[in-house]
Amino acid sequence: MATATETALTGAPAPVRETRSDRIVMICNYTALGLFTLAVLYPLVYVVSASLSDPKNVVSGKVWLWPVGFSLEAFKAIFDYDSIVSGFGNSVIYAIGGALIATALTLLAAYPLSRRGLPGKGIIMALFVFTMMFSGGLIPTYLVVDRLGLLNTRWAIILPGALAVWNMIITRTFFQSTIPEELAEAAKVDGCTDFGFFWRIVLPLSKPIIAVNLLFYAVAQWNSWFSALIYLTNEHLFPLQMVLRQILIQNNFDPSQVRDTAELIRMKELQEQLKYSLIVIAIIPPLLIYPFVQKHFVKGAMVGSLKG
Amino acid sequence: MHEDIRTTPVKRRAVVAGALGIAAAGGSGLLSGCSSGEAAAGAAPDSLSAPPTTLGQKRTGIIYPPGYVGPVARERRAIVTEPATFTVVVPQSLTVGDWEKNEFTRWMEQQTGIRIQWRQVAGKGNDAETMTKVNAMIAAGDVPDAFLGITFTRSQLYLYGAQNLFVDLNPYLDKYAPNLHQAMKDYPEARKLMVAPDKGIYSFPDINDCYHCRASNGRAILNTDWLRKVGLDMPTTTDEFREVLTAFKKADLAGGGKTIPFGGYKDQPLDTYFMNAFLYNPGEPWLVVDDGKVGVTYVKDEWREGLKYLHDLYADGLLAKDIFTANEDQIKRYGDNPSGPILGGARVYYWGTLMTLDLVDPNARWRQYQTMEPLKGPGGVQIAPWDYLDVGLEVSTLVVTRKCRRPDLLVRWADYQMDLEVVLRSYAGPDIRWSAKGDKGINGKQSVYGFDSWNTDATKGKTWDQYGVMYRSGDFRLAERVNPKKPTFESPLYEQTRDQLFPFKQPMEQQFPPVTLEADQAAQDAEIGLNLKGEVTSSMAKFVTGKLDPADDGQWNDYKNRINKIGLQPYLEIQQAAYETYQG
Repeated sequence: MATATETALTGAPAPVRETRSDRIVMICNYTALGLFTLAVLYPLVYVVSASLSDPKNVVSGKVWLWPVGFSLEAFKAIFDYDSIVSGFGNSVIYAIGGALIATALTLLAAYPLSRRGLPGKGIIMALFVFTMMFSGGLIPTYLVVDRLGLLNTRWAIILPGALAVWNMIITRTFFQSTIPEELAEAAKVDGCTDFGFFWRIVLPLSKPIIAVNLLFYAVAQWNSWFSALIYLTNEHLFPLQMVLRQILIQNNFDPSQVRDTAELIRMKELQEQLKYSLIVIAIIPPLLIYPFVQKHFVKGAMVGSLKG
Repeated sequence: MHEDIRTTPVKRRAVVAGALGIAAAGGSGLLSGCSSGEAAAGAAPDSLSAPPTTLGQKRTGIIYPPGYVGPVARERRAIVTEPATFTVVVPQSLTVGDWEKNEFTRWMEQQTGIRIQWRQVAGKGNDAETMTKVNAMIAAGDVPDAFLGITFTRSQLYLYGAQNLFVDLNPYLDKYAPNLHQAMKDYPEARKLMVAPDKGIYSFPDINDCYHCRASNGRAILNTDWLRKVGLDMPTTTDEFREVLTAFKKADLAGGGKTIPFGGYKDQPLDTYFMNAFLYNPGEPWLVVDDGKVGVTYVKDEWREGLKYLHDLYADGLLAKDIFTANEDQIKRYGDNPSGPILGGARVYYWGTLMTLDLVDPNARWRQYQTMEPLKGPGGVQIAPWDYLDVGLEVSTLVVTRKCRRPDLLVRWADYQMDLEVVLRSYAGPDIRWSAKGDKGINGKQSVYGFDSWNTDATKGKTWDQYGVMYRSGDFRLAERVNPKKPTFESPLYEQTRDQLFPFKQPMEQQFPPVTLEADQAAQDAEIGLNLKGEVTSSMAKFVTGKLDPADDGQWNDYKNRINKIGLQPYLEIQQAAYETYQG
């Protein structure tokens, strides 16, 4: 802040001598951020290292930062399990399909609600918000999904709860603040229809918010497992997270409940072999897309939220 | 006939949606909404008309040890000539793989003629996850013909059974389950363990009689190599044990003060070993039966004496500092310590919880550690808590629902799985070899069967991962051939259980049996039981680690007051009533 004031006073953009307090602030800043980065980065590095190490070294605690006894066995083993391979494919389908459908729905709901002239806007909005606080509950929703014939299909994962009201509100705010009423009027004067305006003018101006929505929805789908747990009974449709949970859950058992020491050993083996490589596989896709969407992400989310 | 008697309790049960939550609510929905789904089908009238199933001829060429009690291999016939299909819900399992393509699935279909359409649910079959899904299905009336490997509790089975959602298998078992009948003769307690309070049997059980599991609560191991080095014998009394630990600590055989005289971790409670030097204590939920009267161990004076003993051990630094907080990974790190053993002993399920097992090296580290006898306390008490009832027979292996038109066929299908050969294929895969005369089993007697490898890779996609109906008696399990070139830990585990623990077992009457509760009782039981467990375990840790002093009358009475406030009395009344129902 001090720097800014000095710059303003001298009127020159030349580098300015840092005061002591500046430096202290900087050092504290960097230390705090550095520690924070470490806290976030370390588990990630550890998981990757563990996935590339001999499981024996992981169990005995020899791995703490870099791989010990480098081995790709864990990744090879993954391909022996059909459910992991198919789970990965399913997760990709759910993430992409879910994100596209949900984003389309969000945009279609948010845009009209952002226009002043929409009759009954207040009521519609209230209904949307109502669902944020109250839901039908597990069993009624299950019954609806069942009667609609969605049970045990991919649609059961994508359609119920596709639209997130929260995202819709952010998107609506974005439209309100970036697409002025006057623009719509000008378009109308030039003979553009409402749909034409939305398609040709609003969408091209809304890339950031579209990117944000796609990312939000895709990541949410990628990480979700509960709807799959409730609606699916066909292993071929299970997403990757279900398999991941299964392996991680197998760690949590009460030894006195296990009737076979041999079974105990097998479960351990399986877990040691697959746990870390599976986590790596599961975090790669979000990590990969994040950099591409990030610039929009910050912009879009900020615009939508700040100027509400 | 039972119908009238049932109506009232069912309604009451349905109203109490407490702990069973969705389960109870779902059940009631089903009662009122019978018309809403296929769940209303019920068994076909001809499902009991087929003649009873009889056992086939014993197959030749298989050698059984003398006096063998357990499954035998017989000539088997297909169950149906016209293919019949059933929908069965099963847990998803990486070992089973795709249930549809699984090798044992195909073999069963080919042998019996019964085709199964599988529906997988996530989870292990006995966890909250599985039950969430299963309860949602039941509540929505979306029920299969049967559940396999989905572990309903006895109380849930009874609840759904009394609502006619689960089929009472009694008439079918009488006619179509000769193998199960044989097993019930082998295990006289079986019927008591299977029937619900209304005498219904709402699931097809399986028997997996794991000998060493019956003693796992009372197992602790000690480093005999260190014993030799400090010149002491295996301790048999509490005083000798203290002496040994003190010697370990003094000698510091791990070097650099790293020695941990005695360790453990949070999932293996200390009390199930040490308290048995003062009174019979089976461990959580700490219920015992004394002359027909149900009580708990953790408020007795003997328990307090035990706490004092442990308190002193801990104060002298003879127990690991993190004995109440360490998790399995931590204790394994101690056990596997690369520069040599640092643990004098530990309270563990078996060696594998403590360290990685090297099965080839005859001098492997785990072989240094031997099972201790239970310690004899100052009052002369010396008990190895023996689990007569919870290990062995398990209910809920196959649950047939009201939707099934032909429960008789599913019962025959389940009973078929209790044949020796089918049992082996079901859990171990097709690579079985019958033993030759003279091959030794785990218990040193003539073995019956063996396999060359049994691990994740070899059986993946070939077995049902122990989710099937099985009859694995004690003799059967111990008749597995031991490869002399690669002996496993099974033989030592068996021998040490037999010699060190079995002779000190308590009488069966003292064990609190697995009981069935009415839904409202089950809710109460779960709630109070959980709070009691929290109080007992945390107070035990405090008493032992010195945050509380068991010798202080005030603190001990405070503890007992807290327990009473949580509701020990109503809790015991529930258990007493359930116990009396169990005893008939």
